[in-house]
Amino acid sequence: MKIVVGISDMKVSNQPDDVLITYSLGSCIGVVLWDPVAKVGGLLHYMLPDSSLDKEKAQDKPFMFADSGIPLLFKETYKYGAVKNRLIVKVVGGSQIMDNAGIFNIGKRNHAVLRKMFWKNNIMIAKEDVGGTGNRTVSLEIGTGITRLKVSGRGEFEL
Amino acid sequence: MSRIDEILSLVKHVQPFPKVVQRVMELLDDPETDAKALAEVIQYDQVITANVLKICNAAYFGLPRKVSSLNEALVIVGHDTLKDVIVTSSSARFYKGAVGDGYKLEQGELWRHSVATAILAKHMVKYIQGVDPGVAYTVGLLHDIGKRFLSTFVADDFKQIMIKVVKDQCSFVEAEKELLGIDHAELGGIILKKWEFPEEMQLAVLQHHDPDALKKEPLTALISLSNALVISMGIGVGADGLATKLQGEGLRRFGITPANLDLCMANLLEEMERAQELFHL
Repeated sequence: MKIVVGISDMKVSNQPDDVLITYSLGSCIGVVLWDPVAKVGGLLHYMLPDSSLDKEKAQDKPFMFADSGIPLLFKETYKYGAVKNRLIVKVVGGSQIMDNAGIFNIGKRNHAVLRKMFWKNNIMIAKEDVGGTGNRTVSLEIGTGITRLKVSGRGEFEL
Repeated sequence: MSRIDEILSLVKHVQPFPKVVQRVMELLDDPETDAKALAEVIQYDQVITANVLKICNAAYFGLPRKVSSLNEALVIVGHDTLKDVIVTSSSARFYKGAVGDGYKLEQGELWRHSVATAILAKHMVKYIQGVDPGVAYTVGLLHDIGKRFLSTFVADDFKQIMIKVVKDQCSFVEAEKELLGIDHAELGGIILKKWEFPEEMQLAVLQHHDPDALKKEPLTALISLSNALVISMGIGVGADGLATKLQGEGLRRFGITPANLDLCMANLLEEMERAQELFHL
């Protein structure tokens, strides 16, 4: 079954036939997790780096922010039997519009927070496709762990 | 006939923007206008009449109770909201079908992008002095109308446009202009002129991809900013992706910080959930 992950949303599955997909990642970031032993996968689509922006919103929509969404994604896969050091982590998105001043660098800020969190928690990124001006769609096949990425201007390929 | 002539001759055949809208806008500018006078004008446009009721009852406009008649709707919603409702229902007809095909936009996505930009522009009026919220909303809805008419031409030259964007690292509109002789913002400005919208609105549509838009007229700055944020969020974004230029230092004159932008995007996402019904017009 195709399960669509919206903006500020997260889905986890252990059904081999499921495909998790999120469309149109601009400055947002998609985090893909897959445990090859437990055959559990998860996909998060967060929009902004820091939940301190609006505590109330973070409570209501934790997947909107990197710092509140990422830990929840990992925890949810553990519930399905995933183990941290087995998880294959892929990161996509974080584009930004062309602005010399870097004011619209939401993508870059989104990515920086993730890297900092992963470094602190000893999480290695297996594959990454981040930045530029492309628009990305990413999907994960739960049964096989195959991750497909579609980027405007670069076509569709396996990540 | 040259390519650009072909495109411009298409504009001659663009159906007119519903005349009733201009009439209603004039009436609504007068605070003394009563519901009866409005109903008399609106009732002749059946699409608008049906949509006014539908939209009034959308959660987005947050009315305290369900409205069932045109008269009642006009009394309850108030002049400002009614302007938005009417312009929304009148614009929706231009975004029906596979209008964003050339840009690889799924059906409905160009409309979703337009509604999102309209909602955001209206909210960001608080940061950019001197713009009427109703005008901001209307221009937000119509800023990409040029795409609707350029779409088939973009489809014809799609490969070359994408190659140019990737190879020359230029923006998508720059590639449109280079290969087609006109870009969707220019074409949109021409269409708004044809529809007899005020000059400042034509200009804001025409300049919404100008890299220096934030230094221009407040309405132009507001629309380019709202569009840039909606694009960053990936709402209704096609093959053009984030390949658009906007010099952010222009925000300083409005005192807008990156945190302000983040908050606007977070709020928009919630607004979009409430506005769901508007997308299905």
